[in-house]
Amino acid sequence: MLNTLLALRDHGILGLNARNRDYIMRHNPRRRYPLVDDKLATKQLALAAGIAVPELYCVFGTQHEVKTVTERLRDHPDFVIKPAHGSGGNGVLVIDGRRKDLVVKPDGRGLKPDELAFHVSNILSGVYSLGGVPDTAMVEYRVRVNPIFDSVSYQGVPDIRLLVYRGVPTMAMVRLPTRLSDGKANLHQGAVGVGIQIATGSTCHGVWQNRALEEHPDFGVSLSHIAIPNWPGLLELGARCYELTGLGYLGVDIVLDRVQGPLLLELNARPGLGIQIANRRGLRPRLEAIDRLACIPTTAAARVALAVELFRTH
Amino acid sequence: MRSSAIFLLAAFCATLGLSIAGLKVSRLAVPLDPAAETIVWDVEARIAFEGREKPAKIELTLPRKPAGFAVLDEDFVSRGFGLAVHPGDNGSARQAVWTRRRAKGTQALYYHVKLYPKRVESPGKGGPPPVFPEPPEYAEPLSSAVRTVLEQVRAESADVATYAALLLTTLNGADNENAKVIRKAAPGEAWPRMLSKMLAGARIPSRVVYGLTLENEFVDVPLSPWLQVHDGERWRGFNPATGDEGYPVNFLLWSYDDPKVAFTTGVQGVEVGFSGAKSPLLQSNVTPHGESLLDRVLLRVSLHELPVRTQNVYRVLLMVPLGAFVILLMRMVIGVPTFGTFMPVLVALAFRETKLVAGVVLFLIVVSIGLAIRVALAQLRLLLIPRLASVLVIVIGLMLAISLFSASLGIEQGLSVALFPMVILTMTIERMSIVWEERGPATAVKEFAGSLFVAIAGYFAMTDEHLVYLMSVFPELLLVVLAGCLAFGAYTGYRLSEIIRFKDLTGR
Repeated sequence: MLNTLLALRDHGILGLNARNRDYIMRHNPRRRYPLVDDKLATKQLALAAGIAVPELYCVFGTQHEVKTVTERLRDHPDFVIKPAHGSGGNGVLVIDGRRKDLVVKPDGRGLKPDELAFHVSNILSGVYSLGGVPDTAMVEYRVRVNPIFDSVSYQGVPDIRLLVYRGVPTMAMVRLPTRLSDGKANLHQGAVGVGIQIATGSTCHGVWQNRALEEHPDFGVSLSHIAIPNWPGLLELGARCYELTGLGYLGVDIVLDRVQGPLLLELNARPGLGIQIANRRGLRPRLEAIDRLACIPTTAAARVALAVELFRTH
Repeated sequence: MRSSAIFLLAAFCATLGLSIAGLKVSRLAVPLDPAAETIVWDVEARIAFEGREKPAKIELTLPRKPAGFAVLDEDFVSRGFGLAVHPGDNGSARQAVWTRRRAKGTQALYYHVKLYPKRVESPGKGGPPPVFPEPPEYAEPLSSAVRTVLEQVRAESADVATYAALLLTTLNGADNENAKVIRKAAPGEAWPRMLSKMLAGARIPSRVVYGLTLENEFVDVPLSPWLQVHDGERWRGFNPATGDEGYPVNFLLWSYDDPKVAFTTGVQGVEVGFSGAKSPLLQSNVTPHGESLLDRVLLRVSLHELPVRTQNVYRVLLMVPLGAFVILLMRMVIGVPTFGTFMPVLVALAFRETKLVAGVVLFLIVVSIGLAIRVALAQLRLLLIPRLASVLVIVIGLMLAISLFSASLGIEQGLSVALFPMVILTMTIERMSIVWEERGPATAVKEFAGSLFVAIAGYFAMTDEHLVYLMSVFPELLLVVLAGCLAFGAYTGYRLSEIIRFKDLTGR
């Protein structure tokens, strides 16, 4: 046991206690949290800064608006409903089509209009938000999976998690939905995490349910050597989120849309540590390498170049 | 670094708490172990006499704040006599006075006192202040013997203390002719008074005190004399028979200057005897007391200062921080997942009342039935707050049903379900059902088992008799718990659960 503890330290694995105290508490000022905890605020902030996000269709803020859900969504054949204060993908409902008066989920199950309204109502009463406080439901553009991920994702849309430390992209992974995760790109719910090399944008190893794996659990195809398109642009999008929020230890979730390219999905002030397993390396050496720098460039592009330089070897 | 400030603060809190507790242990003899025993002496003075059918008055000298002992309890057996106790002050002795219009036949009166030894104090404390005596006169040939000895000792000694010690050893020595003469002049009981008189010849204040050497058991022993010499600052004890300085072990000083402790009128055949026995007593039953300012301040930091009801509340409350500390360890060091941060402490508090096994069984029953009903309620699509309120109502109904059912079966443990915090049960059911839906049954059961495990661990910490005793007697240990919490606030090490989570990463 002690040997394993020492080995964890030697490999520079970051633990939760150290993440909370040495990074989150030090670099993430509490007053900045509302910017990322409220996805609506994040979206507005990103739009103002010219960062691409999935288009917002409409917002439901009060229970009496629930009656208008069917009416207001009539013109959208597909959409995503999510709580503005949700966490871990909870409460996200993806609708990718319609059948008669039903709306259809990616797995083919249809929802009646009152079921859809109930979901919105649940979001409003705070079922999915932290602490059960009343929430807002947002309806937005459903992202089309980029063909590059067609063979490795089950139903949902994979998203790319960048860990951005003090503005420098530090580690990256892509989260692939599986049958177990019910099409959701959340590691806790059973999605596969696959590490991405910062310097090249090419995938390496996978992790699923905290276990290392090389092939997709549902399709059996290899997870490595997938080249993420427009990788430098994606890195720069992530790096710009630092100025956007002022959070020094930030998780940036980006989706790759078939048509619109990289879109900022959400930001996370307490990004998880599973990214280390997906990359099979600890975060600490990288975070410390950034801390050792005399100064960090002020432009996002320069920080991306710095990251590519610093983390060339993988 | 901020960490060092935290550790400094934690060290300060821990030191403060431990020092207060340490002072209580060392100065007030508060035991650290609730099972620690102290010795208690039960000493009895018995006065037997024969009444003469006349008004009778019996006065008995009583020990007053005997040095080296604390009085636990005293009582008098009076048998038809009126009793008055004169507290006495400097100069006059403390006395019990028994009176009766007509005393007939053989009678006995008793005085009982329970004492336990106190540390540090020597029997030199108390009693009348010293007076500087006039040199007494002696008849020849005693006079020249006395003078020779006094001058010889004066030549060989430096100060009052060495003078007295040397005088006593010389007088008790076998080979000094003068000493033999003096000894012959005052044999037996008169000897201590003779010594005191000789010291007066050198203008050294001294007195003869009478007391009991407390042994395991003694019956009808007389008071034995001891010599005290004042060296200008304090009374020093000397053995009148050998001249050695010091006191016998457990010397209970009863009276000053007078071997006679019972004074009677109207009765005859008076006999006074002292008996006693040693017995063990739980030290925690002895209410500590102290005289100095520090002692009194220390005594104030105690639950005993509060009304009994409030004391009992705090006995429970003082354990909650320990429960919280257990949770802290479980989550920060081990990494056990729990519902809510302090929910397990509240469940552990409930276990404290219901006892563990019954508590766990009832908890499982209420949560599983509640969960089943919650799943059924989900079909109704109730809004959040009405749904929570409904689950709360159902939980209370369930608790009542369990109590009624077990009452009809005569199972007493089932009644204690009412002690569960129902809001906590409701929130547990709600949280669990949401985790169940969102993350699957495995996660929900894992978090529930984690919560239950932490609650059980908290229960053991919060009901450990020794810990309960320590926290209630030394509430200042809260500072030590606080120090522990503060120190863990700067803990950035791994959680044990992370060994499992990340162990594949170390195999490269």
